[in-house]
Amino acid sequence: MHIPDGFLDAKTAIATTVFSITGLGTALHHARQHLQSREIPLVGLTAAFIFVAQMLNFPVAGGTSGHLIGATLAMVLLGPSIAIIVMSSVLIIQAAIFADGGLLALGANIFNMAIVAPVSGYAVYKTMRVLLRDLRGQLISASVASWCTTVIASVFCAGELAWSGTAAWNIVYPAMVGIHAVIGVGEGLITMLVLSAIAKTRPELLTEPSIQTNRNENKPTLIYGAVIVLGLLLLIAPFASQLPDGLDRVAQSLGFESKKTENQGFSTPLKDYRFFGIESNALSTIAAGMIGAGIVFAISFLLAGVLIPRIKNADNSPHST
Amino acid sequence: MIPAIQVTKLNFNYPDGKEALRDVSFFVSSGECVGLVGPNGSGKSTLLLHLNGILPDTFDGSSKVVINGKSITRNTVNEIRRDVGLMFQDPDDQLFCPTVFEDIAFGPRQFGLSEKEIRLRVERALAQTGLSGFENRFPYHLSNGEKRRVCLAGVLACEPLVLALDEPTSYLDPRGKRNLHQILKALPVTKIIATHDLEMVVELCSRTIVLDEGRVVADGPTRELLGNEELMLRHGLEKPHILRHRHPH
Amino acid sequence: MRHDFFDRFSRLDSPIHHLPSSLKLLFSLGIIFTAVMVPMYYRWVFFAFFTILILVSFMSRIPWRFIGGRILFLEPFALGIAVMSLFQHNGLAIFLSILIKSTFCLFTIILFSNTTPFSDILFLFRRIGIPALLITILALTYRYLFVLIDEAVRLRRARNSRMFVIRRSRIWLSLTSLMGQLFIRSTERSERIYTAMISRGWK
Repeated sequence: MHIPDGFLDAKTAIATTVFSITGLGTALHHARQHLQSREIPLVGLTAAFIFVAQMLNFPVAGGTSGHLIGATLAMVLLGPSIAIIVMSSVLIIQAAIFADGGLLALGANIFNMAIVAPVSGYAVYKTMRVLLRDLRGQLISASVASWCTTVIASVFCAGELAWSGTAAWNIVYPAMVGIHAVIGVGEGLITMLVLSAIAKTRPELLTEPSIQTNRNENKPTLIYGAVIVLGLLLLIAPFASQLPDGLDRVAQSLGFESKKTENQGFSTPLKDYRFFGIESNALSTIAAGMIGAGIVFAISFLLAGVLIPRIKNADNSPHST
Repeated sequence: MIPAIQVTKLNFNYPDGKEALRDVSFFVSSGECVGLVGPNGSGKSTLLLHLNGILPDTFDGSSKVVINGKSITRNTVNEIRRDVGLMFQDPDDQLFCPTVFEDIAFGPRQFGLSEKEIRLRVERALAQTGLSGFENRFPYHLSNGEKRRVCLAGVLACEPLVLALDEPTSYLDPRGKRNLHQILKALPVTKIIATHDLEMVVELCSRTIVLDEGRVVADGPTRELLGNEELMLRHGLEKPHILRHRHPH
Repeated sequence: MRHDFFDRFSRLDSPIHHLPSSLKLLFSLGIIFTAVMVPMYYRWVFFAFFTILILVSFMSRIPWRFIGGRILFLEPFALGIAVMSLFQHNGLAIFLSILIKSTFCLFTIILFSNTTPFSDILFLFRRIGIPALLITILALTYRYLFVLIDEAVRLRRARNSRMFVIRRSRIWLSLTSLMGQLFIRSTERSERIYTAMISRGWK
């Protein structure tokens, strides 16, 4: 999802850079207050770790391979604020040394992968953890959160490309989201497997987070949330009303009936947003998202059962993330 | 003459209860070079970590380690870290800055010296270790031997009274070892060297302490101890080659 | 692997390498910014850029094959996104324009990053007021990036020598297990680094 230079126009680059600076600045401020010196080398090494993790090839089909982004993994291991710093470091180094992702586009890339991703992951993860408190639950929550962040980040990416006039929303949105809904499954699986591998050798790294800033994350999280909402309003909301057209066009091109012909007795699963008779674009998108998440949840649930054979006595300590 | 290092009845247990050091007592005179030998797991590294206050990680009053007359306490630990230069086993752990210059300058910078003084110290340390001209090199591109020497330079730049070295010649080829031997020999500072490189101990250290299972089992002149085959074998060591044959020195 | 991970050319000896890094950065950003803003209509601008970049490449003594290789390697990522621009009014023109502009920008960044050691870039960051904490972390990340890559390669070799069935699921399990190990080793190493840092007076 690294956007190279030349794809974003000035206003998009500036806006996303402002968002990134705000988010990253908040994370750094928070870290300065709560991070202990002994934890600083770990932040640097985790960034190096995520960088290396992103390089690994996971064979998919034919000759293609998938890669991990790692935002959610970093978030589970070190908390959202540190994850922001970790992912930002990775992106800065990728852009400045390896020309992976543009320099002027760095603001957008940091916003998508280093702020939107870990924070949205945090939201999903924390919510699920309220219900799923044991180790298995931790893996499942992490997996589903990873899928969600991949998709959500791709939506923002699409928004940025559309707002720049590089590509039309009704093309780039379904393309990006469609592709990343699939990529996200890989991200979820990999995240889960890695956490499981860590849990087998050093479970305390998961139950007692290496960095204790987790407990105080509420204030900065508000700021991250605000920045993301602003981004949403700027980059996505203007196009959201086009949503039905986009999906409709894709549906048409794929041979499904269009929305105009109601009551045909022919309903296309996700393309028909007349869910339960309610004609609402937002609702249908949310519904589609939840179905996607539900599928990932089911897969993760099964896998977690395999990875963690016996349900250990639930770690009900209030400090477990 | 106050000894540079004085350790009295030092005991240490790991958090999981395992005993690491039992009743360790010895002293090192100023300017002396002492070898610290013993099988793996004997507690050599643990002992060295006590010399600059890294261990124990909580100070419960009486300290068993006295450096140059100063006992290691919560208040003195910062000065002690200036006085005792500790060099670790893995140079990659100790060489953590992006350039050689910055890494060597790290210590002096913590002590609040001026930029000019820092530069002087770095140049001096580089010269002492034969690395002049390496200022802008990236650590990853250096050979093992060069990395070791940069670590040594980084410690020397702090101008310590005591050098505590943990396996300084491990993973070095014979040339690298010889190089390091020569550099260390030329340094007048007090040295205590934990190592498996018994040839180096014979060459550099007038005295040797043998550690086994956390206890001091022998403390005396190097040639006498290391030449005692029975003693060596009993504690998982070997009589070094250099003492096996009559080498003209 | 998407990256040339040895960073071997940023410390060569050439007139370009010796230029102050602030100048190189400003120049690079200037080219990128101009390339993005100026419409393709003004072809002479892009010819001028092309000439400048070729000249700089020549003076920098970086092997042509390397530069070409990097551009070719990273181009598909740009292509993949650019393709989406075709499906709109005037799509082909936009597609070509984006492709050319992004290739120019890519070329520029490759030249910049391979003539400027990262430590210089960090020094620049410090000068323009980027928070010290971030700079420390960036420095550590850069320093240990290659160390971790080596470690990962070693771990993978050890595993591969014991893996006789090359099945996709096995590879996924093997890689993720490797990642888990790598992270654990990283936590242990960071403890040792901290110990080394406080040994030299860090607080």
